[in-house]
Amino acid sequence: MVGGYIPFGMQEALEILAGGGCVPYAGGTDLMVKESAADTRYVFLHRIRDLKCITVDAEYFICGACCTYTELLRSRHTPAILKEAISQIAAPAIRNTATIGGNVANASPKADAALILMVTDALVRLQSKRGVRIVPIKELYLGRGVADILPDELISEFWVPLSRARLPYFYEKVGARKALAISRVSFAGIADVSGGRVNHVATAFGAVEDVIVRREEIDGMLTGLSVAEAQALKGEYLAAYDAAIKPIRGRVSAEYRKAVCGNLLGAFFDSHIK
Amino acid sequence: MNGQIKFILNGKDVVYAGSAAARLLDVLRDEYGLTGVKCGCKEGECGACAVLLNGQLVNSCMVAMGFVDGSIVLTIEGYKETARFAALDKAFAETAAVQCGYCIPGMVLAAEAVLAENPHPDEATIRSGLSGNLCRCTGYNAIVKAVQAAAEEGAGLW
Repeated sequence: MVGGYIPFGMQEALEILAGGGCVPYAGGTDLMVKESAADTRYVFLHRIRDLKCITVDAEYFICGACCTYTELLRSRHTPAILKEAISQIAAPAIRNTATIGGNVANASPKADAALILMVTDALVRLQSKRGVRIVPIKELYLGRGVADILPDELISEFWVPLSRARLPYFYEKVGARKALAISRVSFAGIADVSGGRVNHVATAFGAVEDVIVRREEIDGMLTGLSVAEAQALKGEYLAAYDAAIKPIRGRVSAEYRKAVCGNLLGAFFDSHIK
Repeated sequence: MNGQIKFILNGKDVVYAGSAAARLLDVLRDEYGLTGVKCGCKEGECGACAVLLNGQLVNSCMVAMGFVDGSIVLTIEGYKETARFAALDKAFAETAAVQCGYCIPGMVLAAEAVLAENPHPDEATIRSGLSGNLCRCTGYNAIVKAVQAAAEEGAGLW
């Protein structure tokens, strides 16, 4: 029969991928929108239990690449910031099949779950017949629709540091409607402010450039400062992002995207750096 | 491909021998003649092609046949045989929730998914559950009222 393989285990899937010419199929919601070639062969991953885990250890929230959004929303382990982003993705029928691994592998700058993995500095575990690679998610993105995933590799898991995922957060998705909206701009920010000091700040902007924007050096301007010092630096911090962000044009103008980015960053700053 | 694709379609065991890359939507309509499954957009935007896959609402336009192997698929034709459908059918008729009717098979299955998870949903829950199903005729209020009516009058079915 043509059209694909349905492996029952990880090793079988990796053997098939090592043979070349196959496309991993997780939830299919991105793949099925694209016009596929007549000879496309999918490797269907839905029966591989290793790719469906959701758990926590002492340091990380760990989820398998083939966890659907619905499964992640229902799990008590899933961090609130990730649940908030996922709850605004698409609509129930899509959340029932779409997976977090597919969202990342598709390498869209508009990927809402990937935005959360970026702001929390998650690690991506990639597996092939040759072995395992663990890559910071920021290094995975090479360009619009291009991820550093080799043809024989599968994303197996995401490791999200709990020290980041459990921080107070700010998340906003700007779309044209409530459901089934593709982000026009999305923003996530997390902040660790305690004892009058800013210990950690991270932000990420989606749907703005060819890849999700995560500028650690700009957020680092605030790290280690007292709250008063950080607040005094607000103008400089916002100006640094204003200079750094080079928005793409799309259904909305670059000017609009940049203005929204500034507004969301300002709202995050005011609500969390205090 | 390791073997044929076997699944349960509207309560019957079926074996599909075509491509694993084919769309479930196309296979349901063209191979099995289940034309209650409507083709609206083929990109997951409208919900007209919604079916229940292992009890969960999915857009059949976004599902390849390989993903269906070993699953249970219920279309509006299969659901039509149930008491739950009868309750929704009556409620949709009494609240005039159907105009052109194209979205209704998907809408009814989305309503089933809402009620199966929460037999007494509030309005926000219903609207959220139906949010992936577009209707260009009714403006949704009548449909939401129909689901509320089915929940009340069909108490005990869900």
